[in-house]
Amino acid sequence: MTDAKRAPLRTNRTGTPIDWKSLRLDHVEKSFEGLDGQTYVALENINLEIRRGDFYCLLGPSGCGKSTILTLIAGFEIPTAGSIFTEGGNGRTALGNPGTDRTMIFQDASAALFPWLNVEENVLFGPKLANVRHENYAASLKNYLSMVGLGEHARKFPFELSGGMKQRAQIARALIMEPEILLMDEPFAALDAITKRSLQIELARIWQETGKTIIYVTHDIIEALLLGTRVGVMTAGPAARIKTEIEIDVPRPRVTTSHDFVDMVRLLELQIEEEIHATRAKVGD
Amino acid sequence: MQPAQKSAIETPPIKTVHAPHIVLPPAVRRFIWRLTCTVISLSVVVVVWHLCVGTLLNAALVATPEATLAKAWTMIQSGELFEHVGVSLRRVIVGYVAGCVIGVLSGAIIGRYQLVADFVDPIVELVRPISPVALVPLAMLWFGIGEASKYFIIIYATVIIVLLNTAAGVSRTPVTRIRAARCLGANDFQLFRKVILPSAVPYILTGMRIALGFSFMGIVAAELIGAREGIGFLIMNSQMLMQTSQLFVGLLTLGILGLVVDRVFRALLAKSMRRYMRTDELV
Repeated sequence: MTDAKRAPLRTNRTGTPIDWKSLRLDHVEKSFEGLDGQTYVALENINLEIRRGDFYCLLGPSGCGKSTILTLIAGFEIPTAGSIFTEGGNGRTALGNPGTDRTMIFQDASAALFPWLNVEENVLFGPKLANVRHENYAASLKNYLSMVGLGEHARKFPFELSGGMKQRAQIARALIMEPEILLMDEPFAALDAITKRSLQIELARIWQETGKTIIYVTHDIIEALLLGTRVGVMTAGPAARIKTEIEIDVPRPRVTTSHDFVDMVRLLELQIEEEIHATRAKVGD
Repeated sequence: MQPAQKSAIETPPIKTVHAPHIVLPPAVRRFIWRLTCTVISLSVVVVVWHLCVGTLLNAALVATPEATLAKAWTMIQSGELFEHVGVSLRRVIVGYVAGCVIGVLSGAIIGRYQLVADFVDPIVELVRPISPVALVPLAMLWFGIGEASKYFIIIYATVIIVLLNTAAGVSRTPVTRIRAARCLGANDFQLFRKVILPSAVPYILTGMRIALGFSFMGIVAAELIGAREGIGFLIMNSQMLMQTSQLFVGLLTLGILGLVVDRVFRALLAKSMRRYMRTDELV
């Protein structure tokens, strides 16, 4: 893959839109040097194929390296081995540096939002950097703010927002860049159960409206099953791999109490439990 | 248990008589309280000072509060005090502003590039314990006895603390925020200008405020160098002439001036920098 062209997903060097069909991680490995000088293998031999338009949930016990996969796809870090590329009409294209084609929604919204800018200014941060003229983004600003339900709160500063509202602001800020892929790193994990559920419902709606590809990291089985079109279960770290992948073709809106749903919860619970036992065996507990 | 029944006997409505007093808002009450405390504590100092001179303290070495105030009054009337204040203030402001500019720029580079920090840190750590007074001979040697040597001392007193705080603020920008900006398309320059620098503002301002105090401490050292006017000169000249009341006027002026400038600094920043101080992180 060394000879592959590295370019943003949106357009290639000649400015024509890239016709990608799937995002692939091929034998991806990531290791870090620990404080003790030892090499710590976080991810080992990750093979993933995410189709365009998928809502792909990465599910796994904490510390298994789910978030590391996102940072690799975003381009914040480079894999130690293996390659990440898209496949489609233009052949293979290696993913480039971090950019607006793959925007990330972070769990820590207080750190991710710019505290000195109000909601509207936060959302307009990207368009303004790109020198987009105001009349060209005014309509989409309104559109995305109302899509996430922050139309009435455009002038508020992050410190005036609740946790859920901060995540809504982050989502609007990412969507206005019209990314190809939305990377979400446990975005609702720190929210209370009720806020979490209402944001999950809205995110499912936004995904259906916009048709974006979403890669969603979570440790919550029910969340993964409520949202995803596919769920990839990871093994416990270190040297984590994708353990199983399941397709979820339950119609939306999904109900957690339906038989199909409960069966799938049980299936995933067994998978996760296996991993917990595996970790205990490793530790010698 | 039976539900509580309404009393058959009708009780007359309780009449409350409001005393005709004005309730002040908490901020005003707080201000009045603080003002009272200030007046009381300063009065105690003046009274104790007055009682001690001539009893516990040698009257030839310590001027009484009355003598100090009388001297201050004559110096105000003659305009002499304002001349000294003006000269010193100009030196402090020029040196301080230059020191802040140098400190912010170099601190930003040190905070942003670990490699630069690794090389510059030992130098800063070595220079840091050297007080402005210790640099007076060197300043005279390099810049003579003109204004340049005075600015040098004030700049020196200012620059290190601003540099260290700026570097700390710049290097502590949350990684998440930097990554978020990258996803929104920020290039290196935009990242620095629009994310890292604003994130460091609370640190930079803290450094600048501490440095403001340091620059006032530095003025006396600066005016050790062949000064003919200024508060530092006034203080040292009074010592040589055994003019204790004038010496006390100098000290008092220095204290009041520092206080006023600090208040002005804070008032200006409270308005202009408020949005950068609105942060839920610990600073």
